[in-house]
Amino acid sequence: MVIHPVLLIAIPLLFAFLMPLLKRAKAVTIIILLFNTLLAILMFHNVYNNGPLYEIIAFSPPIGIYLYVDNIAALLAVMINLLAFINFLSVEKVEIKFAMLYLLAVASSTGIVITGDIFNMFVFFEIAAVSSYALVAWKRDKEALEGAIKYMVLGSIASVLMLVGIAFLYSEFRSLNIYDIMNRMDEGSVLILLSFAFLLTGIGVEAEIFPLNGWVPDAYQGAAGSIASLLSFGPSKAGIYAIARLLMIFSWQQSYDLALSVGIMTLLIGELAAFRQENVKRMLAYSSIGQMGLILISLSMLDSTDYAIIAFFFLLVSHAASKGALFLLSERKGFGSNASKYAGIVSVMSLIGMPPMAGFWGKWYIIMGAMQMEAWWIIAAIVFSSVVEAAYFARYLSTTMQEEEHASIIAAYPPAIMATLTLLLGILPFIYKIATIGGVING
Amino acid sequence: MIWAIYFAIASLLAIGIYGVITKKNLMKIFISISIMETGVNLMLIAIGYIPGGTAPIENGDFTTYVDPLPQALVLTAIVIGVSVLALALVMVINYYEKNKTLEYRRLMKW
Repeated sequence: MVIHPVLLIAIPLLFAFLMPLLKRAKAVTIIILLFNTLLAILMFHNVYNNGPLYEIIAFSPPIGIYLYVDNIAALLAVMINLLAFINFLSVEKVEIKFAMLYLLAVASSTGIVITGDIFNMFVFFEIAAVSSYALVAWKRDKEALEGAIKYMVLGSIASVLMLVGIAFLYSEFRSLNIYDIMNRMDEGSVLILLSFAFLLTGIGVEAEIFPLNGWVPDAYQGAAGSIASLLSFGPSKAGIYAIARLLMIFSWQQSYDLALSVGIMTLLIGELAAFRQENVKRMLAYSSIGQMGLILISLSMLDSTDYAIIAFFFLLVSHAASKGALFLLSERKGFGSNASKYAGIVSVMSLIGMPPMAGFWGKWYIIMGAMQMEAWWIIAAIVFSSVVEAAYFARYLSTTMQEEEHASIIAAYPPAIMATLTLLLGILPFIYKIATIGGVING
Repeated sequence: MIWAIYFAIASLLAIGIYGVITKKNLMKIFISISIMETGVNLMLIAIGYIPGGTAPIENGDFTTYVDPLPQALVLTAIVIGVSVLALALVMVINYYEKNKTLEYRRLMKW
């Protein structure tokens, strides 16, 4: 059976624009997201059995635009679409415009993951950014507007810098195809160095890495719970995957070293800032920054150890699912029902890195990798940040467990389903095998 | 001649960055960002330029023509820039109605 990855992007885009004509926004969106999830799972099955999947649009590469899906990209597409589907169930009152923006954000995040063309990646980044600006400002109160404007100023500057990076890259290689560029990459040219710096800065804003993440706490605080959850598993995860691709394109030792030092700074500053927060959403946002640092550290080991790719996969998926659940829960005061208690406890355990959860395997493999590299200070930083995390999450649990919740029973289930995903991923060992086969990019 | 264009690009980018850093009015910040975008678009066009080239329309008369790909990219970039700017201005209007000011300073609590 032939699977066309382009459908993953084309169908939500088409229905986002048809949405004003269709009256039942919620039902249509749920059907599309479910269909996309099934398509992504089928695509993963296909990629897993038959090797990477190409989709060529108009001309053959390196001239034409093309999509390229390998194991990790297919898994991320499944993750984004599945979590988007579960998350959408928790939205009670769906307006047509909201559904449009939501579909655009999901489609473009999937697009960033599966594209094989660097300018296409830029376009998808812009679609993701524009729809997330609008979604963050959805509530239209002071906080939401403040977060959205801050996000927008930084995001627009980032898009300009990214375009400069692409222009430099194009002037050097006369090509926009990621794999064509990767095969012809050599060291030394000032233009290439500059383009790496510009691209890293541009993508870094979306991926929430350290000096570029001033917008994160304000945007997450201003956004509604379901939107903060979408931001944490959609565009930001796609951004960190784009950084993985960027590191693979350039693949110099210096760029890995840079990623490592930025990752450690992001981790420590994010966790320490989270410890000081009073507002729940702000605390979760800073904790997200810390986890992004952890993911970046795992990326910086890609060249040195085989554990890095497994650690990357586990950290990314476990953080997406458990932070999504916590952001959904943050919309209400405290965990009243048993479903919410279960979701909250499982997600917090996964984020801290307690054994049966997926987050534990992420931290386990990253520490195994660091031991193989004999980089003891990385282990020290990770263990220290876990202690800080445990401290503030313990405080978070102790306050939220006592409070009552006032929400419909349906709203309590999406976070519980996300938490179950985290638990299943931690328990089922066959997924390790999947994660080990195939790198981030295999030309 | 080509150096004059690169000088123009560098000045547009520098003016934009200067505006973003120093101005406190939200309108001026977004105008600066759009100046930066213009600079980058000019840069893409300049990269695709081939001396003596004509417009990339093939009719047999011309042998050298400029690289068409950057021009296509610039078209896309212009459309993206316009839509982001439109959304930004809507948000600035909303922000003004809520706060009765366009000053960005009180927003910034990093």
